Amino acid sequence: MSSGKALSRFHQPISVAGRRLLKGVPLKFVAKKVSGGGAKSVNHDIPLIPFIDFLLCIVLFLLASFSASGELPVDKNVQLPSADNVDDMTMAPMVAITGQMILVNGSPAGTTRAVTEANRLQKLDELYNVLKTTREVWKQINPGKEFPGVAVLQVDKKVPAVIVKSVFQTAAQAGYPNISFMVKNRGGGKKKK
Amino acid sequence: MAGISVGGHGGKRAVNQELPLIPFIDFLLCLVSFLLITAVWTQMSRINADARVPGPPDPDREIEEQKKDRTLHVEMRGDEKFQLVWKEGNTVINTIDVPRKQVQTGGDEYGYPDLATKITEEWGRDGSHRAESDLKRDQAVLHTDNTTTFEDIIAVIDAVYSPQRDIKLGNAVEQIPAFNLTFAVN
Repeated sequence: MSSGKALSRFHQPISVAGRRLLKGVPLKFVAKKVSGGGAKSVNHDIPLIPFIDFLLCIVLFLLASFSASGELPVDKNVQLPSADNVDDMTMAPMVAITGQMILVNGSPAGTTRAVTEANRLQKLDELYNVLKTTREVWKQINPGKEFPGVAVLQVDKKVPAVIVKSVFQTAAQAGYPNISFMVKNRGGGKKKK
Repeated sequence: MAGISVGGHGGKRAVNQELPLIPFIDFLLCLVSFLLITAVWTQMSRINADARVPGPPDPDREIEEQKKDRTLHVEMRGDEKFQLVWKEGNTVINTIDVPRKQVQTGGDEYGYPDLATKITEEWGRDGSHRAESDLKRDQAVLHTDNTTTFEDIIAVIDAVYSPQRDIKLGNAVEQIPAFNLTFAVN
């Protein structure tokens, strides 16, 4: 309201339109600040439409790169080799060789010490028993279905061939003839037409 | 808040309708959070090997009628060269030497592109199973010594799987490696 005009409600029944909210605050600088103070408005609309557009872009990108097959955890001590001609991962028992330990789905299943000491191909009894049990459990859970016989080996790239072949042969004897080696995808892969 | 004008006649109902944007944004944020949590940032894959020799049986032919297929034996025992040996049963058909030349593929990783090229050529010339309808694959057998590293084995398996062929599965045509690989026991 301009101070030059006498526009009190005692003189004029209808007030002139203008800002009144928070004008009654006694401290002048506070009153000036909270009521806008003649500078920029303190109320500001958030630009929601660009925000929704941005969110939609993120959703579309994440949906496009979404994989329903999931990802299996890799031990941080295991360095996997890379390959071009690879297949997608499959759900199967995971046999990991970390140092001298052999793990099946994260549970200990023997060591590779005997193979390393003998330096020749041999059956790993503990691994054989664990895999055989896993196979029998699968058959009990899925009666009447054909057992796929697939196992995935997660092996460090520096592990010698004698251990890889011993694990491979043991798995085959335990009823898993179809073995896959877990690798990092370098960019190739199976293509559908 | 966004509004939408839907037109209207003569002052009955409000013609401007508010879209409920806040629940929509909440829904999008939930979706983004879920997708970010379940996102797969590292691409793990698998490379196959088969202990069934000479490969899974051909479902289209009687077992008695099946003759011995040619098998490609890949010898990686020497430091200087690979040896590719085509065998029919125990009979050696052909032997090819390939220089063992590692090529860096980034970082400390490597491959054997010369071996891949030679195996592709060999399969193109002597491979038995090529038709789209043929579900059986040619057999490769890998011979390694005990000290070969797993990294080296994967590099050679990758080279063995480089020749690819089309296979018809139902209505879809898929590309698969021309060879099925197994390990020699000795």
